[in-house]
Amino acid sequence: MIPHRKNAGSGLWKELRSGLRKNMSLPSFKFLRPRSLRQAVDYLARHGNDLAILAGGTDLLPSMKQKLFTPGYVMDIRGIEEIQGIHVRPGAGVEIGALTPLSAIEDSEFIRRSYRVLHEAAMTVASPILRNMGTLGGNICLDTRCVWYNQSLQWRRSCGFCIKKDGDLCHVAPGGKFCWAAFSGDTPPALLCLGAEVEIAGPSGLRRVALKDFYTNVGDARMKIERNEMLTRVFLPQESVGWKGSYMKLRIRGSIDYPLAGVAVALKKNGGPVENARVAITAVNPAPLLVKGAENALVGKQIDEHVAAVVGELAAKMAKPLTTSGLTPEYRREIVKVYAKRAVLAAR
Amino acid sequence: MKKELIELRVNGRKHELAIEPSELLLDVLRQELDFTGSKRGCDDSSCGACTVLVDGVPTLSCTMLAMSCASDEQDGPDITTVEGIADHGALAAIQKAYGDWGGAQCGFCTPGFMVTVKALLDRNPEPSEEEIRHALSGNLCRCTGYTQMYQAIKAAIEAEQANR
Amino acid sequence: MSEFSVIGKRVALVDSAGKTTGQGKYTDDLSVPGMLTGKILHSPYPHARIKKIDTSKAEAVDGVVCVVTGPDAPNKYGILPVGHDETALAVEKVRYVGDNVACVVAESESIAERALELIEVEYEQLPAWFDPEDSMKAEKDWIHPQRPNNIEKDYHHVFGDPGKGFAEADVVMEHRYIAGEVTHAAMEPHCTLASFEIDSQTGQPGRLTVWSSTQVPYYLQHKLSIVLELPMQQIRVIKPLVGGGFGGKSEVIPLEIIAAVAARKAKAPVKITYTREEVFWAHRGRPRTIIDMKIGAKKDGHLTAVAAKVIQDGGAYCSYGVVTILYSGALLGALYDIPNIKYDGYRVLTNKPACGAMRGHGTVNVRFAFESQLDEIAAKLDIDPAEIRRINLLKPPCITVNNLRVQSYGLPECIDKVISRSGWHERRSKLPPARGMGMACSHYVSGAANSIIRSDMPHSTVNIKIDRDGGVVVYTGASDIGQGSDTMVAQIVAEVLGIGLGRIRVIAADTDLTPIDIGSYSSRVTFMNGNASLRAGQDVRKKIAAAAAVKMNCAPEDVMMRDDRVWKRGTAEPATNGAHAEQMLEKIDAPRGSVREVSGRVEGQTLRGSLQQKRKDEGPKDSMSFEEAVVSAIDFTGALTGTGSYAPPKDARGGAFKGAGVGPSPAYSYSAQVAEVTVDEETGEVKVHKVWAAHDCGRALNPVSVEGQVIGSVWMGLGQAMQEEMVWKDGLLMNPGMLEYKSPSATESPEVECIIVESVDPEGPFGAKEASEGSLAATIPAIANAIYDAVGVRLREAPFTPERVLAAIKAKHSEKKALDITRGDDPVTPTTFREHGGSLWFKGKGPQRHADDPSRRA
Ligand SMILES: Cc1cc2nc3c(=O)[nH]c(=O)nc-3n(C[C@H](O)[C@H](O)[C@H](O)COP(=O)(O)OP(=O)(O)OC[C@H]3O[C@@H](n4cnc5c(N)ncnc54)[C@H](O)[C@@H]3O)c2cc1C
Ligand code: SF4
Ligand code: FES
Ligand code: FES
Repeated sequence: MIPHRKNAGSGLWKELRSGLRKNMSLPSFKFLRPRSLRQAVDYLARHGNDLAILAGGTDLLPSMKQKLFTPGYVMDIRGIEEIQGIHVRPGAGVEIGALTPLSAIEDSEFIRRSYRVLHEAAMTVASPILRNMGTLGGNICLDTRCVWYNQSLQWRRSCGFCIKKDGDLCHVAPGGKFCWAAFSGDTPPALLCLGAEVEIAGPSGLRRVALKDFYTNVGDARMKIERNEMLTRVFLPQESVGWKGSYMKLRIRGSIDYPLAGVAVALKKNGGPVENARVAITAVNPAPLLVKGAENALVGKQIDEHVAAVVGELAAKMAKPLTTSGLTPEYRREIVKVYAKRAVLAAR
Repeated sequence: MKKELIELRVNGRKHELAIEPSELLLDVLRQELDFTGSKRGCDDSSCGACTVLVDGVPTLSCTMLAMSCASDEQDGPDITTVEGIADHGALAAIQKAYGDWGGAQCGFCTPGFMVTVKALLDRNPEPSEEEIRHALSGNLCRCTGYTQMYQAIKAAIEAEQANR
Repeated sequence: MSEFSVIGKRVALVDSAGKTTGQGKYTDDLSVPGMLTGKILHSPYPHARIKKIDTSKAEAVDGVVCVVTGPDAPNKYGILPVGHDETALAVEKVRYVGDNVACVVAESESIAERALELIEVEYEQLPAWFDPEDSMKAEKDWIHPQRPNNIEKDYHHVFGDPGKGFAEADVVMEHRYIAGEVTHAAMEPHCTLASFEIDSQTGQPGRLTVWSSTQVPYYLQHKLSIVLELPMQQIRVIKPLVGGGFGGKSEVIPLEIIAAVAARKAKAPVKITYTREEVFWAHRGRPRTIIDMKIGAKKDGHLTAVAAKVIQDGGAYCSYGVVTILYSGALLGALYDIPNIKYDGYRVLTNKPACGAMRGHGTVNVRFAFESQLDEIAAKLDIDPAEIRRINLLKPPCITVNNLRVQSYGLPECIDKVISRSGWHERRSKLPPARGMGMACSHYVSGAANSIIRSDMPHSTVNIKIDRDGGVVVYTGASDIGQGSDTMVAQIVAEVLGIGLGRIRVIAADTDLTPIDIGSYSSRVTFMNGNASLRAGQDVRKKIAAAAAVKMNCAPEDVMMRDDRVWKRGTAEPATNGAHAEQMLEKIDAPRGSVREVSGRVEGQTLRGSLQQKRKDEGPKDSMSFEEAVVSAIDFTGALTGTGSYAPPKDARGGAFKGAGVGPSPAYSYSAQVAEVTVDEETGEVKVHKVWAAHDCGRALNPVSVEGQVIGSVWMGLGQAMQEEMVWKDGLLMNPGMLEYKSPSATESPEVECIIVESVDPEGPFGAKEASEGSLAATIPAIANAIYDAVGVRLREAPFTPERVLAAIKAKHSEKKALDITRGDDPVTPTTFREHGGSLWFKGKGPQRHADDPSRRA
């Protein structure tokens, strides 16, 4: 539906009148640059309701150019030293600051040796330049994506606004009242496989949640984090050090592209049968998801084509791709099946 | 929105200027500082034509706020644009090689490639073909099909080695 | 290649340093004092009548200078004289989502943006047409009332006796092929800066200067003159560096006209730069094309007849459409010997951005169909794909059945070379499973023998000026868009004058300074502007030689010029290796030999000035520097000037039937290619390992450039074959950005090996022909044929996306529900356009459109 120009009641119209707007430049905002976590939390407490967190900006800024966000404040958190870098905690896994660029994960020999699947996944994100900029925290908090949503204001107006922004219908599932925009980050499925936890800072202090409980699987309210909170650190447990791993990603180009489907596999295995295992998928649901039953299908087994194929079927069953991106949903589901099988075989 | 006075460090010099907080580094470089070498090729951060070095690291200037690079209590980062690549007023080896080997046709993507390749060679003076291909994969070129760029980069590496 | 001193050498483009240092200026890098910004309001509807536009609120915004709308410049224009159907801004109707409605001129971009939001437009929606086959059946609500049934143009050509040809055939193949819509996606978004000067006599705005990212400055000047009602001499168009064109800047793009109209109304300079999305709307790319191809052949592989019906989804305006649909038919000829041809072409209007000329203009999609089907015939007759192409070679010099004159013909050598370099015979049968090799050929014109504006004027003219400093300034209208035409011109002039490149300065594409050249399109520049440069060079050389001859006391034809030296034949200085050079100069001489003797007019003139007198006193000498020779010539005449021009010869201009004007060219380039791929049978993903491309460019004036152009063409063809496609939903482009429009990145771009073949064309400058387009078309069928070779599926719909490949593989293995993957569409036997675009991404609700839309009726 195209709102009638004169009396469009949506919030959008108000925003457009309120300030200077450039088509492909950024809407106006006040700029904050905290130098410590404390200062950041302080800003969040004060402006949380009208503030966007800017880490690498590789997701936020293109979206702001498209007027998907018009926050009053933008808080650049890159100056916060405390949440940078990869810190090995001997015997207790590793702590990775939310601001760690993906290229640092790619370049880390420790990660490559200890958490193979994360290394593989990080290497496939976007392009080398974007990985220099994009952070692990940003990748985890990545907005869900949909071709009906990640478009310019003019485009969305011409198409008719949808539930996720300014409208009340969904182009992907007409008649539905639910947004299916796909979570399209590459590292979260890997992190899920490794049993990651994330630390969240807010006015009431720090809390830690398992990454698997962090996402909602709802396209327009993707994660369980308050507006006055931020993600600060990621913890990978000692338990998953040395697990074999593999990440496979469907994309059209060998670089730059977001995943159209992605499968991460991590296996604990020492020559013998599989001792522990997790499989997760991304880009085919509104959240990255652990594949149900994959552990059962793998633990205690020697991996062969058959076992791998069973995992493939399980993964495909969990995948609910819709027309949120290129290539048909049917194809993407098929690929989840094949890639899950291959990732299991590759990880062994 | 009120403008703010900031200091940017570009190509080894400090520049003071007044900008709106929402201004992108790319626009400030091009419009305020007249470093028009960096180009805008897209609006969705996918093409790499705007790549500059921020403390030596290839970065999309269209996806970076100028404010984020400004000095505050701490010095801001060193920004290097394609204008800062030349070697004492003469073409750097990689610039010469791109010309000689056809690495630049229309040249619109070239500034982005220049800084990307410079960062690659600074980090890894003898990259393999695979590493080169990988490093270039964040910059799109519509003219060359990339092939001649690989030849150019190899030639530049040889020229550098011969000089040493 | 030592015969030449500059030609055939690997030289860096003369403007390359500007590109690698960032010093070179593109249009958007320019600014003039007082410059304002223009922003365009675009239509949200695919087809609607504009009932009312109220700009008053926008005009009231502080910082807005004016708002321009259709009535400010209602004159119609279009690149083709038969297709004047565009106006600067919509006058009465909008015809696609993105059509231009109004333009706000303001002090800054942000103010302009805000004002755009305040323009109130009342639209009445009309039924819209998105599928050409549907659109052709429309009985009312035509996109342009003067084009009944939304058919822009249809042609029906018969050459020879196709009926008889098919009757004689032992095999006849007939299939439908569909190629998706692709666009140029040049890295530089279009930009125009327009500025009026105040006339000193009248005190009013007078001359207009326009800087624009264009391939055709003179057409722009012409169209501006029509729309602004200004004489052409009051308009100056300057082309700065252009960041790629590929045809997308080969006609007048709306912003170019809008900027000028806006500058007039605002009484100030105005710059407009497109966003990437606007570039997609401006489009003018390669139309989605349906090809019904039928080929007949004898058992021995000889082709007996070809019949093609081609429907092009042309978008909402004519653009180059009439030419595109003619090229599709005309270039069925001139590659192979085909005795009988039937062609039915329909260029159809739809409510989408206009399609136009794109690299390989009109020939690419038809070539995909033809070369794929030729492979099928070869397989059926059990003939090697390379062999069937050899069997059907032309025997030039000849005139094809559709009146195309072919002289130089390097195709046989291209096939031989590509076969041996790729190891076609040795390797193909031994490839591992799911790996295959495919071959295909293509060709292209070296400029159209008939210009789109019918006249007898030369297509190119080049002037040269040499003054006492010995510097050579070449004025050429050729538009360098990255293909290297400035360098080509410099090389040719340097060779003719026997001087180094450093002495030459090329001034190009500025309508005030440079003589008319009709632009950079249809690969005409090297052939036509190159010939004009050659002649201009010969013209001045003649004058220099005459003067030098007097000084050296010899006949003008005994004056030798090379390496910045001038000497008398037979007295070569060993230092310059002159004796060798002399022999060489004797050898090359098609072009140089035609330097005719000058009249004796110079002889009797008195020399002026002491310097000359002094020199005269020195008595005759055997050699001198280029400067000395130049100065002696200037002493006779004042600054030396020379002019050369080129018009295609009469006998290259084709037949007399309706539509015969398109297709003829003074020379054709040829290409043969082999592609090697692996197909993942489980996922349908195709990896292209390598493409070998042999290209006959006549003579490679600068091998670096030729290789760059050939590799670039092959690579672009690869993009169209594998991944590029514009996807539509009810007239809305789903992927209007560089992230979702999949121009290949370095990772999946295969190695392309370019093999240069030189057939030395009798009319080309130093034998050169085109190199920038001819190779594109072969790549797509070469890959299709390789996929067939690898896994035995014949894809007849491009691009060969993994879902299509997988669906075809599953269907081949008779898997149930194989076509679910493509939602029912069979890439092996495509039938119709899917309204929702190639990959059928979108089954969703989409935009609300008129109740009568075909898409709604279903
Ligand atoms: C062309 C292109 C291609 C891309 N391809 C891929 C791809 O293939 N795979 C992929 O995974 N990603 C891709 N991305 C997205 C992006 O580059 C990465 O996901 C990156 O890791 C995001 O990190 P960032 O720091 O840049 O995020 P930002 O843009 O800074 O932030 C992203 C979101 O997270 C929020 N956020 C960031 N940090 C925090 C925090 N600490 N606490 C709370 N909220 C926070 C922001 O407010 C914002 O909403 C692509 C982006 C582009 C432009
Ligand atoms: S899934 Fe539906 S609601 Fe969500 S972004 Fe896409 S179109 Fe909008
Ligand atoms: S302009 Fe395209 S990535 Fe910055
Ligand atoms: S040289 Fe033209 S885009 Fe790269």
